[in-house]
Amino acid sequence: MGLSRRDTIAALVLLAFTGAAFWLSFDIQTRNDGTMRASVWPQTILSVMMVLGVVYLVQSLRGTLVESVADGDRPVVAGNWLQRYKNPILCLLLYFAFLATLPVLGVLIGGILLVFLTMTLIGGAGPRELVTHALVAAATIGGMWAIFTFALRVILPEGMILPMIIGR
Amino acid sequence: MPIDAVVAAFWDIFNLHTLALMAIGSVAGLVAGAIPGFTIAMAVVLTLPFTFGMPPAQGLATMIGVFVGGLSGGLMSGILIGVPGTPSSVATVFDGFPMARKGRPGLALGLGVWASFFGGIVSAVVLVTLAPPLAKIGLEFQPWDYFSLVLFALTITVSLAGKSMVKGLLSGALGLFLATVGEYDLNGVARFTLDSDYLRGGFAFLPVLIGLFAFSQLLADVMDTATARKAMTDLTATSVRIEHRKAAFEVLKRWGNLLRSSLIGVFVGILPAAGGSISNILAYDQAKKASRDPDSFGTGVEDGIIAPESANNATAGGALITMMALGIPGDIVTAVMLGALLIHDVVPSPKFIVEQPQLAYAIFIAYFFANFMVLGLQSVTLRAFVLVTKVRMYMLTAVILAYCGIGVFALHNSVSDMWTLLIFGIVGFIMRTMGFPLAPMILGVVLGPIAERWLARAVTISTDPLLFVTHPWSLFFLVLCLFSLFFPFYQRDYGKRTWTRLYTPALMVGMAVPLVMMGGWVRPVIAAGLVAFGLYVLSRPPGQALPTLKE
Repeated sequence: MGLSRRDTIAALVLLAFTGAAFWLSFDIQTRNDGTMRASVWPQTILSVMMVLGVVYLVQSLRGTLVESVADGDRPVVAGNWLQRYKNPILCLLLYFAFLATLPVLGVLIGGILLVFLTMTLIGGAGPRELVTHALVAAATIGGMWAIFTFALRVILPEGMILPMIIGR
Repeated sequence: MPIDAVVAAFWDIFNLHTLALMAIGSVAGLVAGAIPGFTIAMAVVLTLPFTFGMPPAQGLATMIGVFVGGLSGGLMSGILIGVPGTPSSVATVFDGFPMARKGRPGLALGLGVWASFFGGIVSAVVLVTLAPPLAKIGLEFQPWDYFSLVLFALTITVSLAGKSMVKGLLSGALGLFLATVGEYDLNGVARFTLDSDYLRGGFAFLPVLIGLFAFSQLLADVMDTATARKAMTDLTATSVRIEHRKAAFEVLKRWGNLLRSSLIGVFVGILPAAGGSISNILAYDQAKKASRDPDSFGTGVEDGIIAPESANNATAGGALITMMALGIPGDIVTAVMLGALLIHDVVPSPKFIVEQPQLAYAIFIAYFFANFMVLGLQSVTLRAFVLVTKVRMYMLTAVILAYCGIGVFALHNSVSDMWTLLIFGIVGFIMRTMGFPLAPMILGVVLGPIAERWLARAVTISTDPLLFVTHPWSLFFLVLCLFSLFFPFYQRDYGKRTWTRLYTPALMVGMAVPLVMMGGWVRPVIAAGLVAFGLYVLSRPPGQALPTLKE
């Protein structure tokens, strides 16, 4: 997918988003309390966004956008799109799993798993790497957990497993 | 200067706990600055969660340590391996790396270290002398003026953020819009909440910031598996020792270059959104132009290291001036610092120095002392940089991803903030890959509520929109807004189109009009000077206009 086509899609998405937000802005309650109406500022911004979105769309259609982006220099075809964004998607999915399992695994166990799996899936899973990743994950997350829990007195989510392990 | 506030501020900083935190912050900044691809703003953003539980002065001192350390740390990898640690050390590589390759890495490092130190000290002096008088001017501001000032900060951010103006403007507008989600400050009316409790409180500023900036950067860092698996550098520290005495002497011998470059750094720092990445190149360019032997630049000359390093460190002082005197962030780092102040219920405004003198002086003192601290730590921790830069990027990414989540949770002890982080990490990553600059969006999120508050006050007093142009300061900032919006076109057409010859004279006249409207005699005299300067620029033959940012 060429950069300009991606820009066209982005412009359309942005315009749709702005339109939806504009529509929602009419539901904002009006109170006669002498203050500026709550919808004035958002509607002003959305009007500006709408105009800019149209300009962006026109520029993308005319191919006059000059911005060169890090990964936009080479065309991306559908086949290698997944390959190109594999690692960021992997990180996002693992992070999503970390958040979704937080009530069960807690920050300590979940965090160690997050770091270990991220490192192993991106950095490789040879025997030496596995040991290194496990040690790094345990040391860094364990260290952070200790700093936040004991030094900064932040009560991090402990999940269901950790209390069972330490016998609480 | 209220002496009791200075004394109290002094003790806020000079206690063992704060000094230890500043030292840790400085080392963290030095290390982060030395890692290519790891920006100073990201280091300061990641420091934030640790500062939540600290008193404001202590938290800000720690962040200032990271800031100053980061600005100095960038020179290490730039000089030793030719890859700048941060964008603010790009020009240092031009002469630092050749000098190191010629067998003088110790001197090159020393020049960088001492130039950074002196640049920081010069800007600290300017900060202390300039911020209070500027803040006094800020006290004259009325709601119309504040609103226009915030608009100016946003437009200049956009104009300096990237090649595509429309993307920059959209990014800024999107930031402003995001800040409207949740309950309206003035009367609690819900906006864009979709009846969701999660949205009712609005997006917390810091998870948004960390998501947009740090989280998305980490995702971008691991896009290429081969690069992510490589050690960040092949650096070895076996025989590198900083030549302090000789370097300090060489830097002081070139005091003219040092002073000019430092002042360039301060000036660029004062401009909202313009940071060390601009000042170091501008200072290098001016040093080259002023040199008797400009052709020697790029071969490993002393002036080529002194100029960018003194300028990029001096930028920090300039950015702090804007933050403290006008209450608007000078760059992303000061935007983070403003966020930290808000957490402690300290609302940034031009009244900051008057209302919070102890905290203001604590910032002055911390910034001044951080330069000494970084100077001392730099040579001690050279080996630590080398070790850290051997870490593979994917390991660093994995650990920092987890840290971002834990740190964000610590803000309000809320898991929903961790989800906000994820959402804005994705948004930031998509925007990065689409070529949207993130700085305008971040400043939009920070400045949006401030702009709305002042607009509401202005409208409550009077609904006459003409007041925005009849109030001199408001008109002054609106003129600057207009010219900053045209700045990218000016840059593009400079020397090619005749209209660019009129840009500077028109700007001077535009600024002169509100200054005359302010009355008295000092400001009209300044206005006359601006007009005279504009006419002088106009009278010069084409192609010989005075140096500008473009050059």
